[in-house]
Amino acid sequence: MKFGPGSAANRIALLGWLIYAAATLLLGIAVYFATHAAFSRQIDERIEQATSALLIEYHDDGVGGVQSALDQQGRNRPIGLGTALFDARGARIAGNLAIPLTEPGWRNIVFHDPGEGREQARAQVTVLPGNYRLVVAADLESLETIDHTILAMFGVTVVVLLLLGLAGALLLARYLHRRLAGIEATSSAIVRGDFTRRAGIGTAGDEFDRVALSLNTMLDRIAGLIANLRQVTAGLAHDLRTPLSHLRNHLERMRGGQGQAATGASIDEAVAQADNVLALFDAILRISEVEEGSLRRAFSAVDLSTLVSELGDTLVLLAEDERHFLHVAVGDGIRVQGDRELIAQALTNLVENALRHTPEGSVIGLQVRCDEGGALVTVSDNGPGIPEADHERAQQRFVRLESARSAPGHGLGLSMVRAIAQAHGATFSLGDAGPGLRAEIRFPKRIIA
Amino acid sequence: MRILLAEDDTDTAQFIETSLGELSHVVKSVGTGDAALRIARSESWDVIILDRMLPELDGLTLLKAARSCGVTTPVLMLTALGRIEDRVDGLDAGADDYLVKPFAPSELVARVQALGRRYTQSEIATKLLAGPLELDLIAREIRRDGRLVLLQPRELRLLEVLMRHAGEFVTRAMLLEDVWDFHFDPQTKLIETHMSRLRAKLNEGGLPDLIETVRGSGYRVRAV
Repeated sequence: MKFGPGSAANRIALLGWLIYAAATLLLGIAVYFATHAAFSRQIDERIEQATSALLIEYHDDGVGGVQSALDQQGRNRPIGLGTALFDARGARIAGNLAIPLTEPGWRNIVFHDPGEGREQARAQVTVLPGNYRLVVAADLESLETIDHTILAMFGVTVVVLLLLGLAGALLLARYLHRRLAGIEATSSAIVRGDFTRRAGIGTAGDEFDRVALSLNTMLDRIAGLIANLRQVTAGLAHDLRTPLSHLRNHLERMRGGQGQAATGASIDEAVAQADNVLALFDAILRISEVEEGSLRRAFSAVDLSTLVSELGDTLVLLAEDERHFLHVAVGDGIRVQGDRELIAQALTNLVENALRHTPEGSVIGLQVRCDEGGALVTVSDNGPGIPEADHERAQQRFVRLESARSAPGHGLGLSMVRAIAQAHGATFSLGDAGPGLRAEIRFPKRIIA
Repeated sequence: MRILLAEDDTDTAQFIETSLGELSHVVKSVGTGDAALRIARSESWDVIILDRMLPELDGLTLLKAARSCGVTTPVLMLTALGRIEDRVDGLDAGADDYLVKPFAPSELVARVQALGRRYTQSEIATKLLAGPLELDLIAREIRRDGRLVLLQPRELRLLEVLMRHAGEFVTRAMLLEDVWDFHFDPQTKLIETHMSRLRAKLNEGGLPDLIETVRGSGYRVRAV
């Protein structure tokens, strides 16, 4: 299996990793800004507190009070807070902050730290009566340190997380490859002609197992169809050979003219044999068309009760002529979704089968009724029946059971019935009528119209 | 009858021309869809026989075009496609009948004649007459020489179809379609069974048989 850029597994893994990386980065940025904002607010609060304390001094003792407070502070508490007081002319008259006169309000300023050189600071400049200006500033060095620490920590974490993510993505890609490789290997084997190969199915019952399972089911179905096709081709070849060679021999004899000149009767015989071959073709094509299932588009509501009653009237006469008895029993108002003509054909086939394969005097029942499972059409007889082991085989194309060899027919009747039943979503089954054969078409409830 | 035949296969065309020519019908044969459409529109025909697969313009398209230009001539469509769906498509496109290749000449002749008659006979006839037979379509009663014959509905329908085509052969396939609405061959003696009962009832009392059977062609009721 390819492990390159064309691999969906790789793309999925890479995409997952990219999303993961983007999420990590976003989280880092959010943490950084949130922390930064919190610390900045804290610094601003400290400055505000100091400013209000100094304003209280001003309130109590005027400019002098502020001046002395600043002097005292400068001496006793060389903390991160710096202060300065300017007079109306702009000259610094108190405080430890060596800065020029600054505009009122919140400012970011630069001052000169005797120990560390130029430093960033945050300052609040308040105008006092008499145009004095009070500056309270806080060193931003601590904030920068915190920012740096967060960035460094975060940088390491991101690298670690991304590496972990990459490892996870690679593992995922490998896993996907491994799970898909089995399915691909099976398909390739099938393409090479090994039709017995099936995909391995794990125990987890996950998506991959389900895909493998459905692949196997599909392969089984295809194998069944191929077997069916082979059987049909073989059956067709066999069934066509017989009438065609009869026809050929017949024509040969007619040409020979040895007492068998081309009389009307012998020409009729040849035409009948040719018609037989054509009818066989028609029957096969019709079964194929029904099996295809595309006829379903034209399905409509069919009154099964009326259809079977009418058909019964005709078939009763047919049975009478063949010296059989046909009993028709039809429940009222049973309707299904389907094709009237196909259903008629299926029932005609079943009754015809019963007539053909039972001795004179046999009784055949044609019944339609509704039960909790849906609509049920039954054709039963009291003839010799079919051994249960042959029930399935009897429905296949061209299969003519030993007992039926002597009777006319192509062995397509029951496979046509089965195809018609399946096209309707109905089930066709053969059973024992004890004695005799019972053929059933069951229309499930959902197609009852 | 004047018959327009649109068929590109020369063997089939010749075979059809011979079959219909023997009955002194005039057959004009064309090999392409374009030519067929042109002639179908410019001249008047009793029946058009149209192959579904024609060069230049296929039969279905041709037929739809002709019908939309107001050509009402009955059309028999010929096709190598025997599928149920194809028949439905053909009839939807405006064909009056549909015949799958290969077909017996008798089948073609019977269907062409039936199509040609369909438009000459009065559509609103309430009585059908054929020799001694008189069928009242409203009362659903049949009389032979004025005497009422009791028939089952299906037998009556069978006789009705034969009488509508009185004087011509009606094939098994046509009877299956018209009487039972079956477009498949049930491979049974369905028709024979009904026909023998119909005959028995019509000929009761040793009267001569009015329904003629020709193997391979079908059944016929004499017109007079």
